[in-house]
Amino acid sequence: MSRRKIRFKINGVEKTVEVEPNKTLLWLIREELKLKGTKKACERGDCGLCTVLLNGEPVKSCLVLAVEVDGSDILTVEGLAKNGELAPIQRAFIEHGATQCGFCTPAFLIVGHWLINRNPNPSREEVVEAINGLLCRCTGYKPIIDAILEAAKYMRRT
Amino acid sequence: MLPKFEYYSPTSLSEALDLLEKYGEDAKIIAGGTDLLVSMRDRILKPKCLIDIKKIPELRRIEYKEGVGLTIGAAVTFKDILEYPNLEKKYRVLWEAVKTIGDMILRNRATLVGNICNASPAADSAPALLILDARARIINKNDGVREVPLERFFIGVKKTILKPTEIVKEVFVPEPPANCYGKYVKVMRVQSEDLAVVGVAGLAYRDRGDLIIRLAYSSVAPTPIRVKEVEEVFKKKNMSLDEKIEEAVKISSEKVSPISDVRGSAEYRLNLVKVATRRLIKELVEVV
Repeated sequence: MSRRKIRFKINGVEKTVEVEPNKTLLWLIREELKLKGTKKACERGDCGLCTVLLNGEPVKSCLVLAVEVDGSDILTVEGLAKNGELAPIQRAFIEHGATQCGFCTPAFLIVGHWLINRNPNPSREEVVEAINGLLCRCTGYKPIIDAILEAAKYMRRT
Repeated sequence: MLPKFEYYSPTSLSEALDLLEKYGEDAKIIAGGTDLLVSMRDRILKPKCLIDIKKIPELRRIEYKEGVGLTIGAAVTFKDILEYPNLEKKYRVLWEAVKTIGDMILRNRATLVGNICNASPAADSAPALLILDARARIINKNDGVREVPLERFFIGVKKTILKPTEIVKEVFVPEPPANCYGKYVKVMRVQSEDLAVVGVAGLAYRDRGDLIIRLAYSSVAPTPIRVKEVEEVFKKKNMSLDEKIEEAVKISSEKVSPISDVRGSAEYRLNLVKVATRRLIKELVEVV
């Protein structure tokens, strides 16, 4: 199995890495780059907790091969805060106690961030639709939805 | 961890076909990967080589031509389909079915051609494609393109007529009948991300005043199936509409062969087929 050299940008930083084809994007993020915010759980696309933005769109990183991201731009939860300042979505999650046990939080932050940047005035239904592929085993979806709607308000104000 | 394999990402179709010719059964095509990588992780599939087709421009093409139809390339995602202008109106039943697949995040990667090539009995796009008379355009290195009606494409659970050296280049969906109305009913255990317990796609239109109904099902037989026999029922002259509907319900329930699994028993599925078919036809008839 021949290793491949891939170049990509993650959270604004250029990287060049050699990977084996059978490694996933999730492995690349957690094991190669040691960015542990992105969570590994079901590894079959059901729970969505490994969701990151790939070229601006949410993907479940357990179902993307690392070799496929050559030339791409990746955003993980570690890239949300800028210069020590939390992103609107992060502030709103704290405000609403939307973190609960915290394991699913990075995925919800990423998808929430994606949604409010694409649509700064989402309806509750649009928020529910966007997070449909993410599981929270504490099952407290209400504060999460509230927090995303609140973050959208922050976005509209700025 | 995935089993080991070689990875190729050709930038032309001919390059991809050369690789398929070389590797044959040892190769698998990867587009969205949302089914394939799960099967590989479970060691159900252990291809020696993966051919990524996402960098082949002609396979990323989705195009609707008025009066002709819709062409969906092998690397076109469900997201691309949902966002294509006017498809929600023009190909309503297909659009609705696509909208029920997985979730928004998966639809960013998963492809319609992948959905049919995976050939799950529960493939949500299949019933809509079947009643719209869709055809798979298949190609290999040496022969030209052959077109196969989707009805002949599926041959069993996760089995298609596709040979190891062939690839489904695109799916072609002809222009739907004028003023038709279509709907996909997906019965699920929860109102979220899940496979169908039963899926029914229906299409209705008038041909010089005569009512035409087409029905197809997922998750109730080894393959997605279109029940053509019900189409004959609605062409009969000496029956009332209610009698026709009951006859169609009876025929459909005889043609399906559901099994019991984690999502429901065979008996429950059979009952759902009857209920969903009856309701769906009544709704379609009200519109057209």
